[in-house]
Amino acid sequence: MLESVVAGLTSGGVYALLGLCVVLTHRLVSVVNFAMAAVGAMGAFVMVTLTDAGLSTWLALPAGVAAGGLLSGLLGAGLVRWFGDHGPAAKAAVTVAVFVGLMAVGLRLFGNLTSGARRFPEAFNAPAFTVGDVVVPQAVLVSLAFAVLITLAVTWLLRRTRVGLRLQAISERPGTAEVVGIPAPRLALAVWVAVGALSSLVIVMVAPRLGGDFSTLANLVTTALAVAMVGAFHSLWLTLAGGVLLGCLEGVAAALEPVQQYRGVLPFLVMVALLWWRSRHDVWEAA
Amino acid sequence: MKRALLALVLLASGAVACSADDGTGPIKVGSINGITGLFQSPEVPQAVKAVFEEVNAAGGIQGRKLELLSRDDAMNPQRSTEAARELIDSEGVVALVGSSSAVDCGLNRATYSQAGIVSIPAVGVDPACFTSPNIAPVNPGPFKLLTAMLYYASETLKHDKVCLAFTVLPGSGGGIDAAIKEWSDLTGKQLTVKDTSVGQGDPTPYLVRLKSAGCRAVIYNAQVGPWFAQAKTQGMEQVDFILMANAYTDANAALIPPGMRAQAGTEWQPYTDETLPGNDRWARIVTTHKIQKTAFSQGGVMAADVFVHVLKTIKGPITRESVTQAFKSMQPIRYPMVGTPWVFGPGDKHNPIEGSRFVRAENGKWVVLPEGFIVPGRS
Repeated sequence: MLESVVAGLTSGGVYALLGLCVVLTHRLVSVVNFAMAAVGAMGAFVMVTLTDAGLSTWLALPAGVAAGGLLSGLLGAGLVRWFGDHGPAAKAAVTVAVFVGLMAVGLRLFGNLTSGARRFPEAFNAPAFTVGDVVVPQAVLVSLAFAVLITLAVTWLLRRTRVGLRLQAISERPGTAEVVGIPAPRLALAVWVAVGALSSLVIVMVAPRLGGDFSTLANLVTTALAVAMVGAFHSLWLTLAGGVLLGCLEGVAAALEPVQQYRGVLPFLVMVALLWWRSRHDVWEAA
Repeated sequence: MKRALLALVLLASGAVACSADDGTGPIKVGSINGITGLFQSPEVPQAVKAVFEEVNAAGGIQGRKLELLSRDDAMNPQRSTEAARELIDSEGVVALVGSSSAVDCGLNRATYSQAGIVSIPAVGVDPACFTSPNIAPVNPGPFKLLTAMLYYASETLKHDKVCLAFTVLPGSGGGIDAAIKEWSDLTGKQLTVKDTSVGQGDPTPYLVRLKSAGCRAVIYNAQVGPWFAQAKTQGMEQVDFILMANAYTDANAALIPPGMRAQAGTEWQPYTDETLPGNDRWARIVTTHKIQKTAFSQGGVMAADVFVHVLKTIKGPITRESVTQAFKSMQPIRYPMVGTPWVFGPGDKHNPIEGSRFVRAENGKWVVLPEGFIVPGRS
């Protein structure tokens, strides 16, 4: 059993990274971004297409990350321009529509599971240590460290910097923020670009472990949403813990024969359980 | 009232079908293919069309030209059933040839039986393709292939610990169990690990389980990239991973990291070697018509070839009835691109093609292994 938990834990870092991208967008621009993974996958596929064409990874990676940022920036610009006054539900619906569109375009451009699977660069693949039969590669530690770094950096940005303060103002009271002279649209656009670039980087990091074709990578948004929900779309530290928790649960589920078959629905079960827990709390508060 | 209405509809559809097939115009043939959507095989109808063009250029069948009407169902159930109805009722096709849809057989099997029409899919994907009275694909399909792969692992490679790590489509669990039983009955051997819960997500927990159980050969059918990347991380270089035919693509060969042992079972002669028996004709057709070279396009050429072969045996007018009759009473055809003869015949279910050839991934390419077709119990 311990081995299974450790085997599951190896994916905790990459799950946390996915969740963090969703929480970041929600914290900074108040949008639940269903298109996060699809945008990231577009960036990642731009990168891998360039490396397949012979470009070195160190040149292709910035190009892919920039493409993801640009695409996300376009989505953000559309949201700011045409849906600025709409509520979070309408904005989320727009991202769902964008997700569906990107999925169709991605399948067309990059192929499906069998024809379009690509080999992503695998960095840090050397073993770090071994627990029983499980070899834990350095990549696991790198992804966990990256997740912690993002959490620390964003927490610092929001709490200790002027930009962070402005971003929080835009996120919580966009109208008021604009009245007091904060350039809300410009800052929001910058956030979208940054999150798109980060998503692309994260998708490149998770691809060797979770999937090499466009649809699998774009669909990782379900995992990301489940992890983000652990942090209630707000707490970065809880989101980080949520990623590790989901990894553990998957490991345990793979080891227990009766529940093995249902491993795929774990993110969904986590979402339902948390929604139920929260709504139960609401009922008590209302009473 | 309902019956009268039904009779009227049937009459009307019959009338349309008759008007479409007056015995002098082109012979209309239908096919349902995934052109868009998650399961894409646009090369299949192109390959069927290419064979038909060749036949037409040589004068057609009984002086009539063959015309393929291919419909894209985008793996959408509603579009698939509508396409079948339209082809049968409105277009009056005489048969379906070279279908390649992930949902066609299961949804339309009853329609085909009721209409008394035969379907010869290029690629049978779901279990219903192999268990229906009016459908006979030209590929072995996942179950016969699985038996052949298990047989290859235990008898040809002589591995004692054979394991299975599968992702199972809804409704195919029974077929997989039957395929494993067929192998056990033939060899007297049992699987060391049978895991049919592999899906998306990190494959590490599954790999660790297979490694702990000491598996020497693993039959596998889910996504290739992450599986091999993580298997390498877990140090499973000595394990023979044997992949199902769906993994036999150029893209997947490039995903296998150096040092890993990956083989794939193929349904037809491996398409990556054009010198193999039967492949020369296929290669000429797809090259001339600039069609993508894939295993599926082999299925397209073969489905069209066996159809034309049977059509030529028909004496008298070519109608849906005479075509169905010809297929149900035909003699087996030896086709060099597959392991066993292909025949439709009168039965209630058809899975005529058995056996598999094997390829190995080497330096990002598939290399054909010297053993011919491995047909369980016969080779």
